[in-house]
Amino acid sequence: MERSLVAVDQNFPGAAGDFPALLRGKGLLAPASANPVPQAGTPQKMWQPTEATTILAFKFSGGVLVAGDRRATAGNTVVYDRADKVLEIDRHSIMAIAGVPATAWEMARVLEHSFQYFRRTQLQEMSVDGKVRALSKLLRDNFGFVMQGVGVVVPIFATYDSHPKPEARLYFYDAMGAQFEATDFAATGSGSPAVRGILYYENNWGAKPLQELGEDEAVSIALRALDTAAESDTATGGVDRDGKIYPLIKIVSREGIITLPESKIAAVFKETVA
Amino acid sequence: MIEEPYRWVEAIANRREYIEAQLAPGSPIAALGYRDGILFLTVSQTRQKLFEIYDRIAMGAIGHPGDIERLRMAAIELASTEGFTRSATDVSLRRLVHYSLSPVMKSAFEQVYGPPYLARMLFAEVGERSEQDLFLRVEYDGEIATDGATYAQARQDFAALSGTQQSRELMEEFLATQHAPDADLETVLNSALDAWSIGHMTLQTDDAKKPPERAAVRKHRQERLANSGIEAALLERDASRAIRYRSLSDKELRLLIHD
Repeated sequence: MERSLVAVDQNFPGAAGDFPALLRGKGLLAPASANPVPQAGTPQKMWQPTEATTILAFKFSGGVLVAGDRRATAGNTVVYDRADKVLEIDRHSIMAIAGVPATAWEMARVLEHSFQYFRRTQLQEMSVDGKVRALSKLLRDNFGFVMQGVGVVVPIFATYDSHPKPEARLYFYDAMGAQFEATDFAATGSGSPAVRGILYYENNWGAKPLQELGEDEAVSIALRALDTAAESDTATGGVDRDGKIYPLIKIVSREGIITLPESKIAAVFKETVA
Repeated sequence: MIEEPYRWVEAIANRREYIEAQLAPGSPIAALGYRDGILFLTVSQTRQKLFEIYDRIAMGAIGHPGDIERLRMAAIELASTEGFTRSATDVSLRRLVHYSLSPVMKSAFEQVYGPPYLARMLFAEVGERSEQDLFLRVEYDGEIATDGATYAQARQDFAALSGTQQSRELMEEFLATQHAPDADLETVLNSALDAWSIGHMTLQTDDAKKPPERAAVRKHRQERLANSGIEAALLERDASRAIRYRSLSDKELRLLIHD
């Protein structure tokens, strides 16, 4: 019997179907590495993950603010100064990335399609826990590449949960896929130690805790934090005063995601940072 | 014995008769293009009949739930893989139906030792302007039909799907005279409900040549709506969002109905 051109799978996946598995079945996604050990022939000197960038996120009165600088580096060369590292995954979720852009953008794409695919096939929205876990699984599947010295990604995931109680949720991950829920703030990338210090200080001894900040105050703190990170970390772009390149800032709230216009960021920068 | 050609033709004819009988009680579905998108509507019994396939594509189906599910899943898989490897704008309903679903359905139908798909589907894809909206009806034997649209000229403002050919044709006749593509949601919703009622009323009769009288349609519609829920979904034309599909709740629809 002749095979049809596009076979409708007879081993019907039904409710078990998962988008990365579908892609792997079609050879469109690298197989998950079962054995994350450096392979023979790879240099034994462990490659140090640089995660060269700075990403931060914190909860404030209007939801979660996620900000990232725009610099992309390769070693000590700046390759791009308008990189977009704060990516919208769906109407209420943002993934911000530090790490190797190729892997990170691919992960974001897989994740975005996974959520849509789940909703379309299963006829219900994926839960926040399910989404958080989906990213964790992608990181875990990628860990073999990390051990081989390529493709480390350390993301932050911010979303708005409607069930059981409406609230903004914020998660950060390590390169192996462990997920941690942040109560107030998270930062990742090479410039993150400085940022973490600032956010911790602001949250405890600042004018008011981060969760009570208004939008302009929150933007101001995000800009100051990124500028501080860029002061000592060459891989962080901070604010390019000459080129007028500002960090990318997005806000997740009950209503969805807003990307702050550059004019607004520029105004806050001029007034409270510069 | 199936090797003998006329036996094969006979087997196919029997199969067609069997499938038509199975599909005959299927509750109609209407899809109407309007100013701000495309409205899909049916009055449903128990299970869901309208589905999101991809960013700009939706589907309505009647038939066996198991077969609908397989086809729906195949369509979503194909569209999602295409959208992932290339881009969302490369996903096209025309290609999905013509090159993927139709050949599969045709071969399942004609291989008389295997089971055919007991399903009839209506797909729509919303365009930037209403002239670019596309409606395609796919039959259990892989036949693809549009309502008056040709390959060169896709202009079409509505499509209907029903258990019997007669019922569908009467719905189309009604919509051809009553539906205007630049109508608003409220108008189009009421036309869709009327079309559904006409389709539903004429499912049982064998010899209805003309759509039923207006008063009878109204009465039938009121009776059915008192007992069943309206299932409807939109494909919105609003280009600011990637995902255009939105299902409408029975409650919000009832506010727009004029009895």
